[in-house]
Amino acid sequence: MSSTWLFYMAFAAVLVFIGLYCLLSMRNLIKLFIGIEVISKGVSLALVATGFAKKNILVAQALAVTFIVIEVSVVATALAIIINTYRHTGSLDVRRLTKLKG
Amino acid sequence: MIIEIALLCGLVLFSVAAVFFRDLLRAAICLAVASLLLGIIFFRMKAPYIGAFEISVVAGLITVLFITTIALTKTGGDVRESKAASWIFPLFFVAFLILDFLVMKSLMGKIPAVEGTPDQGTFGEVLWKMRTFDLVGQIGIIFAGVLAVLALFRKRDKE
Repeated sequence: MSSTWLFYMAFAAVLVFIGLYCLLSMRNLIKLFIGIEVISKGVSLALVATGFAKKNILVAQALAVTFIVIEVSVVATALAIIINTYRHTGSLDVRRLTKLKG
Repeated sequence: MIIEIALLCGLVLFSVAAVFFRDLLRAAICLAVASLLLGIIFFRMKAPYIGAFEISVVAGLITVLFITTIALTKTGGDVRESKAASWIFPLFFVAFLILDFLVMKSLMGKIPAVEGTPDQGTFGEVLWKMRTFDLVGQIGIIFAGVLAVLALFRKRDKE
């Protein structure tokens, strides 16, 4: 099963790479958050694929459910912060956040 | 295996599209399609619970949250991204693919195939009996998320 696991891990690594590239190169706050979502897809693929390869799919599913719950909480909080930032600065540009007052 | 490869390639393609589409709404929909493909991959891995969770929560709920945020910040979507980022990406991407392939090829056969003890029982039993503490943590995180959103959207007192 090692080759199957490495096959899925390779794709998970590609997803994490795409997300990290987005985080490093984009300026729009929502785009940055899309990058985080792509990384989280890679992580959940890695979790479930490991369970699949090691024949522990039930435990892997339980862990992935926990991961998705955390993801949803993070998304809700971060999008609320993005809306508040937009109300303060009038833009979604992350460079505007360098001009904080007080 | 061919279907899995096609689904994984689609997942990567839609993720790339989500990152590089200038229109945020299209980007959010591409992300939802990527989640849908990931959910199908989970179904094919014989993980139906997480597949259904991925499709309903990540492809459904999170996309709705994204689209709501995009609608609320309509005029802010015209942030100028650096053009160099999208030009350089294919170069980095191909370099990473080659590196990824080489690393995985070198690891092939070196990682001992330790077989875990196969799961016994059903998903419900594993979730309720083995991972009970996780559920407590999940409830805590949901409450923390709700409180955070309430705190961020509270009405400011008049000074």
